[in-house]
Amino acid sequence: MIEINNLVFSWPKHPAPTLDIAALTISQGERIFLHGPSGSGKSTLLGLLAGINAIQAGDIKILDTQMRQLSAAKRDQFRADHIGTIFQNFNLLPFLDPIENVMLGCQYSKMRKSKLTQSLQQIAISLLENLGIDHTLQAKSVSELSIGQQQRVAAARAFIGQPELIIADEPTSALDADSREAFIETLFNQAEKYQATILFVSHDHSLAQLFDRKVSLNEINGAAK
Amino acid sequence: MNLASLAFKSSWNRKSSVFLTLFTIAISVMLLLSIERVRQEAKSSFANTISGTDLIVGARTGDIQLLLSSVFRIGHANNAVQWQSYEYIKQQRGVAWTIPISLGDSHKGYAVLGTDSSYFTHFRYGKKQMLAFEHGRAFHNGREVVLGSDVAKKLNYHLGEQIVISHGMGNTSFHHHDDNPMTIVGILKPTGTPVDRTVHVPLIAIDEMHGSGHNASPRMIGKAINKPSNEAVHSHDEHKHEDHHSHDDHEHDDHEHDDYSHGEHSHGEHGHKTHQPVESEPGDLIGEPKQITAFLMGFDSPLYTLQVRRNINQYKGEPLLAIMPGVTLRELWGMLDIVEKILLLFSIVVVIISLLGMLTTLLATLNQRRRELAILRSVGARPWHIFSLLTSEAVIITLLGCLLGTTLFFVAILLAQPVLQAQFGISLSLSMLSSYEVMLLGAIMLAGTVMGLFPALRAYYYSLSDGMSIKI
Repeated sequence: MIEINNLVFSWPKHPAPTLDIAALTISQGERIFLHGPSGSGKSTLLGLLAGINAIQAGDIKILDTQMRQLSAAKRDQFRADHIGTIFQNFNLLPFLDPIENVMLGCQYSKMRKSKLTQSLQQIAISLLENLGIDHTLQAKSVSELSIGQQQRVAAARAFIGQPELIIADEPTSALDADSREAFIETLFNQAEKYQATILFVSHDHSLAQLFDRKVSLNEINGAAK
Repeated sequence: MNLASLAFKSSWNRKSSVFLTLFTIAISVMLLLSIERVRQEAKSSFANTISGTDLIVGARTGDIQLLLSSVFRIGHANNAVQWQSYEYIKQQRGVAWTIPISLGDSHKGYAVLGTDSSYFTHFRYGKKQMLAFEHGRAFHNGREVVLGSDVAKKLNYHLGEQIVISHGMGNTSFHHHDDNPMTIVGILKPTGTPVDRTVHVPLIAIDEMHGSGHNASPRMIGKAINKPSNEAVHSHDEHKHEDHHSHDDHEHDDHEHDDYSHGEHSHGEHGHKTHQPVESEPGDLIGEPKQITAFLMGFDSPLYTLQVRRNINQYKGEPLLAIMPGVTLRELWGMLDIVEKILLLFSIVVVIISLLGMLTTLLATLNQRRRELAILRSVGARPWHIFSLLTSEAVIITLLGCLLGTTLFFVAILLAQPVLQAQFGISLSLSMLSSYEVMLLGAIMLAGTVMGLFPALRAYYYSLSDGMSIKI
C-alpha cells in the first residue's frame, strides 16, 4: 500500500533535513498508529504522502504509484482519488451543510464518484447515518454540531467514494476520552467495510493499543535523532 | 457542486462584508452611469436646441452670451437690436427667412418670447424638426399666446384660458399686467428644448406690455388710429381691470389704460378648459417695435451666411454681432468639456475606490479563510481551483454590484427625470443601456476581475505553502 524508501526531505532555508526515513512499509487494510511529538516531522511526512509537497530524494510508492513521478497537478488528483483526510478539528466548510460537506469528498475526483452505487447525496446521507449523524443533525448547520459530530462528518467525507487510504491527523485530540474510542471504533468499522488503510497520527499513547501497529516517527526518522 | 456555487455559498457566509462591498460597487456604478447618461443627454439636448438657423444676430456682446440669451433664455441681453437694423438686414441678398425675438419678460417663471408668425414656420430644432402643435394653432393677433408644452403641463393651462404676462424675469415679478390678459390659442408639442418652457406671444404684445419704453403715447395713439380692425374685438372683464386700477396706476404708464380704452382685447371668457380651437380675427402681430432682443436668420446658400455675417459684424448703424449657432454651441460645449471630463474622472475614481474596497475586504478575510482553502486542498482541490474560486468571488461581487448599480441607475433616472427636465431642460430618456454604457459596465467587470486576481494569487500561494496543514 505505502512503501517509503530512503526518503529525505528538507524545507527551504533549513540546512538540516526535517525527514530522513530509510524504510516504512504499510500494507493494505492495515491500521497504523503513527506516533510523533510535535516537530518530529509528522506534518512534513503527511504532506509528502498526500502529495502536497514534492519528493526531493528517495521514493514514496502508494498503490503502486511512484509519487515522485507525478507532477503537482497529478499529485493533487491522486490525493483526490485515493486519499481521505481528517484533521484535528474545524474540518468542515461552515457555509455548507453536513451533507454538502460530505459530498465535497468527491468534488474533485471522478474516480471516487464512479465508485458510488447510489447518488452522491444518498451515499453521503447513508454514510452520515452509519457514523451516527441522523437526519436531524444532518439538517443542522455545521457550526451547530458538536466537535465530535463534526469529526464524524469529516470522517464521512474521508470515506465517501471509498478511497484506499485514510489519513487522520490527530482527529481525536479535541474529543473527550469516551468519544475518542467511540470515534476510532466507527472509523475502524468504516475502514473494514471499504478495506481502507488507516494512517492515524497522534501523540496520545493511550489509543495505540487499538491499532494493528504502532510506528514511532522518532524511531524511523533519522533526521530527528 | 461547481466552483461558482461554492464561491457563492462562501460569499454568502460572509454576507455582511460582501453586501457592503457589493453595495459600494453598486452605488459607484449608479453614479458613473448616471453621470454619463446625464452628460450624453445634456450634450445631445444641447446640440439639438437649435437647428437650421444659419445666424443669430443680436446687440454686440460675447458669442456665447448671445447664444445663451437668445436660445437658452439664460442671462439677459443688456442691449437690443433696433427694429430698423432688423428691417434693413432682412432685406439683404440671400436671406431666406428671419425670426425676430424679443425676450426679457416672464410668466410665472417661464420666459416670454415675443416673435411673429415666422417663428412657427421657420424655427427648427433637433434634426431640423419643425415646431408642431399639440393643440390649437399659432397666434393670429396681439392678444393670443402659444405655450411650450412644459408651460402648459406645469401650469395646467388649456386652450382658451386667459393668462397675464408680467414684465421682467422671475416668478415674483411685481409688475403684473393684469389688464393685459392673453388667450391661449396653441400648445406646442414637446421638443426637449427651451421652447418647451417658453411662452410665445406676438411682438406687439411685448411692446404693449412695456409701452415700448417710457416715452409712451404717440405710438399708441398712432396704432389706435391705424389699426381700427382690432377695435372691433371686445373688451375683457371690466371689473378685473377696475380692481387693479389703483395699484397698476403707479406701476405703469398711462398708455396702458389707453390700451384698454381703445379696446384692443380679444375674448374675455374665463375658465375655458377645452381643446377646442379658439376662433379669432387675424390681427397685427408685430406692431411697431422699436427694438428686439435678437433675430434668427436662414439663408438660401451657406455662401451668403458668411457674407452677411461679415456685413452684420461691420454694420455701421449700431454695434451688432452675428453668430453661427452650430459653431458657438460647439464652443460652449467645449467650455463645459472640462467640467464634463472632471465629472467623468470623479465617477471613475469612485468606481476604482469601490473596487479597491472589494480588494481590501477580500484580502482581509483571506487570512481567516486559510482553513477553508486547506480543507479544499485536502479533498484534492488544486491551487488553480483555489485561484479560480477567489477570482470568481470577485467576479460575482462585481457582477452583482453592476446589476444592482444598473437597477439603482434606472430608479435614479426615473426620480431625477422630472427635476432635470424642469430645472435644466435635460430630457433623460429611460431607454435601455446604450452600447457605450454596456461598455462601461464591461470595463468595471474587467477591473473587478483584475482586482480579484490579487487575493486569488495570494490564496494560490497560501495553498501552495500551507498545503493541508492549517497554521492558524
